[in-house]
This record gives sequence, C-alpha cells and structure tokens, in this order.
Amino acid sequence: MAQAGKGRLNYRCPSCFMRDLDIDMFYDKERGEYYCLRCQYVGTEEDVLQKNEMARFRYRAMRKRFTDFEDFSD
Amino acid sequence: MEQFIVNIIHRPEMVPEYAEKVTGQGKAEDIGRKALLTESLDIFKTQQDCAHRHGLKTTIQMTYASLFNDEAVALAKEHHERYGDEIALSLLGLPCEEFRKKYNTKDFCIWMFSMEDKKAIVRDVFGKFHDRFGFYPESTGSYYLDAELINFIKAEYPQVKCAVATCWEEGPKAYHTCNNSWYTLMDGGPWAPWIPSKQNTHAPAANAEEDSGIVAIPHLSRDLLACYDGNGSNFGTHPQNVLRGMIYDTSTWEFPYLYNLIDQYRALAKYNDGYAYNMMFVGPGWMNKMGRWEAPYELLLKSYEEGCAYYGELKRQGKLTDMTMSEFADYYRAKKGYTVPECALWRDILYGSKKQLFWYCDPYMRACVNMDQGGALVDLRPYVAKLEWPVGIGTKHVQDASYPFLIQEKYRAGYFTHYAGEGTVRSAKLRYRGEEVDLCLCRTKAHFEREGGERRLTLDPVTVEFDGLSVTLQTVIAFPEGESCIRYERRVLSMSDPDAQVQIDEYMVGCYGTTEYPEDMTSLTLRVDAGEDSVALPYEYKCREAGADGAARVSCDVPPIKTRVSMTCEGRQPRGYVREGYAFSPMFALGYTGTLREKEVFTTWLKLEKAD
Repeated sequence: MAQAGKGRLNYRCPSCFMRDLDIDMFYDKERGEYYCLRCQYVGTEEDVLQKNEMARFRYRAMRKRFTDFEDFSD
Repeated sequence: MEQFIVNIIHRPEMVPEYAEKVTGQGKAEDIGRKALLTESLDIFKTQQDCAHRHGLKTTIQMTYASLFNDEAVALAKEHHERYGDEIALSLLGLPCEEFRKKYNTKDFCIWMFSMEDKKAIVRDVFGKFHDRFGFYPESTGSYYLDAELINFIKAEYPQVKCAVATCWEEGPKAYHTCNNSWYTLMDGGPWAPWIPSKQNTHAPAANAEEDSGIVAIPHLSRDLLACYDGNGSNFGTHPQNVLRGMIYDTSTWEFPYLYNLIDQYRALAKYNDGYAYNMMFVGPGWMNKMGRWEAPYELLLKSYEEGCAYYGELKRQGKLTDMTMSEFADYYRAKKGYTVPECALWRDILYGSKKQLFWYCDPYMRACVNMDQGGALVDLRPYVAKLEWPVGIGTKHVQDASYPFLIQEKYRAGYFTHYAGEGTVRSAKLRYRGEEVDLCLCRTKAHFEREGGERRLTLDPVTVEFDGLSVTLQTVIAFPEGESCIRYERRVLSMSDPDAQVQIDEYMVGCYGTTEYPEDMTSLTLRVDAGEDSVALPYEYKCREAGADGAARVSCDVPPIKTRVSMTCEGRQPRGYVREGYAFSPMFALGYTGTLREKEVFTTWLKLEKAD
C-alpha cells in the first residue's frame, strides 16, 4: 500500500511543536515511522515520545503548585 | 467578601470540530454518519454528568444541529428541571446536513457570513430553538460575535442578555499554530467579562448609549502571559487545551498547571473589588473516543473529570459560586459600572521565569505593562476610538476581527530589533555623559493599589549604573478611571552624586495594525504643539524629526484606526519631539526629554482620543 495513514494515536510533529506548530504526522506502515508533511522530521513512536518529553523543557514550573501569586521568593 | 464565579458551558455539537477529521480519517466526508452523531451525544452526556456529580450547574448551549435531535432536546429539558441548568443557544455547531442543504456552504463561523446570511441564520436558529422549547434563549455566543450581529440579535431577541463573544488573543498566533488554516483572527479583546459597545464588540461600552445590551464573556479564561506569547489554545481553563500544550507529567498524568491557572484567576479578585471570574467551555470534539493527538481518551476524560472536581471542591469550600450565563449577566450588571476597569497583575506560572505583567482594560483602552521590561507598555489598543469594524463576507475584513493596536511588542517588535530600526514600546531612557540605559533592561516587580478612581502600580526601585554615577529610580504607573490616559512618574530616589543630573527621554514608538505585517503609514500626521514653534509632519517615510522646548503636547493622528495618541509632560527642561520612521522602520515616535536630579519627579501622560 503506497498511502500513509494515521497511527495508533494521532501524533503531532515534535519538531514543529517546539516552534508552536501543531501538525499531525502520518504513519508509514512499511517503514514503521512517522513523518511530518511540513518539516523534515521522521521518527519511530519511541522517538516521538522522547522528543515530546524534550519539548517540555520550557515548562520549568510545570510540576509546581503556586499558592501566592505575588510571592517571587524561591 | 471575595467572590469567584464560574460558568460551565456544554454544547451538544452533533458534528464536533475535529471529530470528523479524526474519526473519519481515510473516509470520504460524511457529517451525517450515525456513529459520529451517537458519539457526539455521548460526550455531551459525559460532560454534563461530570459537572453534575461535582455539584455544578451548567449552561447548555444548544447547537443548530442538536435542535434536530430529539434526545438532545429531551436531555436539555430534563437537566434544566433537575439541576437548574440554563438552556441557551450557541451559534457554534452549525454544521449538519440540514444546515448545509439550506445554506449551500461549509462556512461555520457566524461572524464570517455576510450580514444578510447572519440575519437569516440567526432567525432560523432562534426560531428553531423556540419551536423546540417554547421560549427564546437568554444566552448565546460563538467564538466571536461582531457588533453588527450582537446589535441585530439584541434588536430581534431583546431577552438575550449574555453571550460568549471573543477568544482572548486568538489571532495570528493561533492561525500560525494551525499551519495557517484556523481563521479565528480576533486579538485585542478583553480577557474577562465586559459590556460590549454597539460599535465594536471588543471595546467595552463607556455609557448607556454605547451599551449593546448584553454582557459578554470570553471563550475560556486564558493564561495572560503564556497566551500573549504563545498559542492561545494551550493555556486556558479548558483541560484538554492544557493537554494540547503537553503541560502534564506523562508518568503520572498530573497537570497542576490547570489548578494554578484557575487559582491565579481567583487571585484577581484582589484587583477587581473582590470579584473574579472563570469559564470552562469544552467542545465535545476534545473528548473524542479515539483520543486527541497523543492524549488517549482516558487522559482526556481524566482531565475533564478532575477539572470539574476542582471547581466542585472550591464550591464546597465556599470559595466559588457556579452560575448559569444569564445569572452571571444579572450579577455582572449589578456589580460593575461602565467605566470600572478590569485589572490583572499576572505572573508566570509555567516557565519558571518570575516574569510579571499587568493587564488593564476599560472602555478607552486595553494595555499591558511588562515588569520584566521596567514597566514598559508593550501592548496598547485604543478602544476610545470605538472603531466600527464590520467583519464577514461583503466587508473589508472577511476574517480579521482583531481590534487594532498602537503598540504590540510581539508582532511589531518591542525594545529589541535586529540591526536597525525601532520596535513598538513605550518606555524611557536615562542618559549620563554619553551613556544611555533603557528602562526596558531593568527587570522589576509591581505592587497594585487603588486610590479613589485611580488604579496604580508602584514598581520596585531599580538602580541604573553609569560610569561614575548610580541612579536609583522608581516608576509609578497610574490609570485614572474614565480619563483615557496613562500617567508615568519617574522618581529619582537617590543618586551616588547628589549634585548630578541625568537626562530622561520618555518615549513611545508606535504604529498600527492587527498582524505582524506593516501597514501604509502615509495617512498619519505627527504634531508638536508649541505655540509659534508648532510643527505638523505628514508621514512620508523620510526619517525626519521635529521638536520644541517646552512643547505643550506631542501627538500622532492615525486615521486608519480613528485614533489620536498624544503625550504631555511635567518636569525640568521638557522638550517634546516627534520622529517619523522610514521604510525599514515603519514606525512613529513621540516623546519628551528633560532632566532629573535627586528627589525629583518627571511625569508624562499618554492620552488616547477618538479622531475622526
């Protein structure tokens, strides 16, 4: 089959996500890889998940719970 | 006593946005598929169940498609009876076989239709609603409702008192995030409820004459820092938007950010006479059984369940009041006067930066002050112009519903530019013996206070180091209610040499537009008012400058947005100036220079006026 489809989940391109672009990726069953239509990213599901973790680097306070929004002490 | 209000809104959307694209991948489009309709209604039932189990009432916004579905209508009636939910009417969710057959279009955003079609659709949808329920709704909405449409709805259906009328900062950034395929261009509006003017939905009414007759609420309560910089659809009180932003721990599926966001909104009561507001409005497409992007259905469901649980817990603790939209409209009308501003001192709760912004909105302006840039004004929308800006097919703005800016540091650069030119910002520079420091580079924090009708920010003092001189300076920024101006006071608290004096340059670099791209500046006129030394400079991209000692006022008329922006000044040796830009820097600048000594104050007023 020549045409690609969607994978088990509908992964976005992690490379584009890091530049604030939500682009669905398509899955090439024969090669077992996801690929982006817009940029040059290609990767397995494992690689996508790993890169998605990397994309969270900017959310340094993602796990923190704030109680006082004017308290800037650490 | 502080009061935190939440509106929880559900819509039985029979053909949810996204769902057809997701579940129907690899199939020819069929929006009448039974599986799609059944799943959509199931999601609506799940959402309603989540809210009710946590003791929260909802506003059910019936969609056009759902009015053809007996089960959806019966559910709405039952939940109204049993839980006190309001039965309202959304102008989202138009797509269905009946709509497409009747209107022969795939358009689905009500504000983008021609005015003729808007009227026909509204009459059709409201009529159908009346047929099914025997009354007309009191609440309605869409992602955006333009002023002409609101005026029409209010004239035809005067009982309507509340509407979802904009998405905060959903504009070019959202468009880009969707690979330039999602045309919700509606930047520049209020982030919290407001009374829209008859002339422009985004601009709040200044008086009863301008009052459109409804209370508007924003679609979602959004992160006032993250959404300003990034994709709005990742940072709002929409639990699945938080997942869209990947702001959760993949090993635990925990997402404290959502609760920080809700709590920071609660904390805004401090700046708004004890009142704060949230709304949650999740379309069923976001709880698709197939999952959404990398989030499986179980995580989507968990996020919605726990979002409702958090609001429910706050309610049990007496910290939250759940209202329907129409109940909220009555509450808001009783609570707020026309000129009372909405204020939000907002901090970063996601990136760990300690960055702090202040947002201000009243009938004359929306403004953003950035404490990470020494209190510089980084976004300014001149609502005072009440710009008539029709949108939709047949107008000059088919899609672009944004309220134009005079300053927007993200789209038209702020302090930092590449190589040449200037970016839009309103700040000040200090100069001493050939050295220059822009306060944009002095990071600080602000403290809010209200005195009578004036809202004021007092910034922590900053110390500017020159070669041989240290200057400790404090900035106070005031917003006098109803005066359409911002006052900046720069106070020199101390100098290492008490006899020294520094030069101050209070400036504003501006332009106009709704996007990142430059507009034609040739209709603008810069002016220095100084009696016989007055100068008028028509904008010709010639990089000219004019100024006068003791100028009474400097200003720029911006006819495309019917606005005059001006500065006046009080201080030692004031000299007003204006500066024209050039092709590579299509901006204008206004400002005053003067001198400051220890314990002295230099004060400027930035005023916005309507200029026809």
